Amino acid sequence: MNWGATIRTIFLCALLIFLHYTLRPLLAWRASADFLIIALLLAAVRVRPGVAAMLGFIMGLASDSLALGAFGAGALAMTLIGFSWSKLKAVFFADHVLLNGFFLFLGKWAYEVVMNVMERRMQGAELLMQILVWSSLSAFVTAVAGVLALMALRPVLETRAA
Amino acid sequence: MARTARFGNRLDIVLFGGCILLSLMSMVLPPNLREPVAGSLRRSLVAPLVRLQRGAERWRGAYLSSMREELRRDTLALAAARVPTLESENDRLRQMLGLASKLQWGFIPAEALQGRGRIEDFTITLSAGSKAGIRERSLVVAPEGVVGVVQTVDPSMSLAILFAHPDFRVSAMSADGSAFGIVQPHIPGTGVPAQSSYVQSERWLLEMRGVPFRSTLKPGAVVYSSGLGGIYPRGIPVGVVLGEIKTAEAWARTYLLRPSVNPAEITAVMVLTPQRGAAALTNVWGDIGSVDSATRRVVVAGDSLARQAAAAEAAARRAAIDSAVRSLTGARDSAAADSLARVIPGAAPIARAAPAPATTARDSAALRARRDSAAARARRDSVARRRDTTGVRP
Repeated sequence: MNWGATIRTIFLCALLIFLHYTLRPLLAWRASADFLIIALLLAAVRVRPGVAAMLGFIMGLASDSLALGAFGAGALAMTLIGFSWSKLKAVFFADHVLLNGFFLFLGKWAYEVVMNVMERRMQGAELLMQILVWSSLSAFVTAVAGVLALMALRPVLETRAA
Repeated sequence: MARTARFGNRLDIVLFGGCILLSLMSMVLPPNLREPVAGSLRRSLVAPLVRLQRGAERWRGAYLSSMREELRRDTLALAAARVPTLESENDRLRQMLGLASKLQWGFIPAEALQGRGRIEDFTITLSAGSKAGIRERSLVVAPEGVVGVVQTVDPSMSLAILFAHPDFRVSAMSADGSAFGIVQPHIPGTGVPAQSSYVQSERWLLEMRGVPFRSTLKPGAVVYSSGLGGIYPRGIPVGVVLGEIKTAEAWARTYLLRPSVNPAEITAVMVLTPQRGAAALTNVWGDIGSVDSATRRVVVAGDSLARQAAAAEAAARRAAIDSAVRSLTGARDSAAADSLARVIPGAAPIARAAPAPATTARDSAALRARRDSAAARARRDSVARRRDTTGVRP
């Protein structure tokens, strides 16, 4: 990835992080889009797996600092997601928009599952309902928002060859 | 090249493993060590993001509060807009209650649903039917007067024609009973387009036809049902005279009436049962009732006058007797006694038994007795005349 592509990627990730802390509180949906996950996907498919894991760890730890209930759980989940996406880009055609949407859905859902299990706030049927309904819905909204963002940013982005 | 790739892979694995390890360590950190780490992150890396989030939440709060304020204003405006409607509905229901208290029995309250189509313009659907006691040809009234007559009755609803329906007829009279006629809908003359506003507004007026030529009605005079037709009882307001209209009938007058009931206000009505319709409806609607009550008041006043006159006559008679007795006490003049006996038969024995007075006293007593007897006769005549006058009831 050349410098231009790196700068563009950093700029777009910053934009998505900005949206995460502005648009999400404005909308305040119960199942809202997670722009941090989209930003992580955007970066993870363009860097090495180790770097993607580190990015995920930093972003997860930053978000955990605001939610002390499960400090470290977000970092663990995003590390796993970042590393997995970066590894999977070599296997799948990562520039495919729908495939990106599917990865986003899977990544966000996995993140939600890890967070809900680690936080230990819910148990039994309530936990199951949260994972199957609300987490799935949130993952779907994130996937849709991610696909729209990727389609809008496609002219600006330049995917690194695998 | 291969060595570089292997090194890169190892580096990735090491970085990944290190991140996983750090994540797990931060999860198991005791609270006294976790908080400094999280706090330093909040104060450095996350601080601008938290400020962004706070600003966004403030925007959202302002937006929500403005929405709430707008909703509150809209609710108030809506409530204020509904007040006149509620007031008019309240007035209408109060009038209905007043009518119900005057009718006392034999009525069925019903809601009137007005037709929306052109054909149903002059019919209304009533929310009560035969189960409630409504029969065909039952009279539909409102606090202001005649509304129409029931034509079709179902168990739970019924249909009635309004006064503007072409089939509507009612025998009517003026308030003083000097003019009689048949009231029917006013159908504007031909040559005017049926949809014109003139025709539409005139179509709700009524005509009073067949009024004898010698009877004239002034504009503003109220016309009541006369009770001659057999369906409508006497004394229900039908309309108010607007003026005379010229027709081909040269032997009778035709008057244009404004209906007593505004069609737009027909929302709740009373349906009179046949028994109630057959009974008297006096004192239910204003003017006829007030005429009747005025008549009764005049009769009562006449009776009391007669009673007062009778009492005055008896008092005068007693006074005359007393004065005659007093004046003739001791009088011995037989002529005066005879005169007194002629005037007051009951006084003769007393006069005769009385002692004889002096001549001048006898003359003056006779004079007074004559004057008293004449006054008593005049009072008796006047009372008789008053009785004759007040005894006749209009």
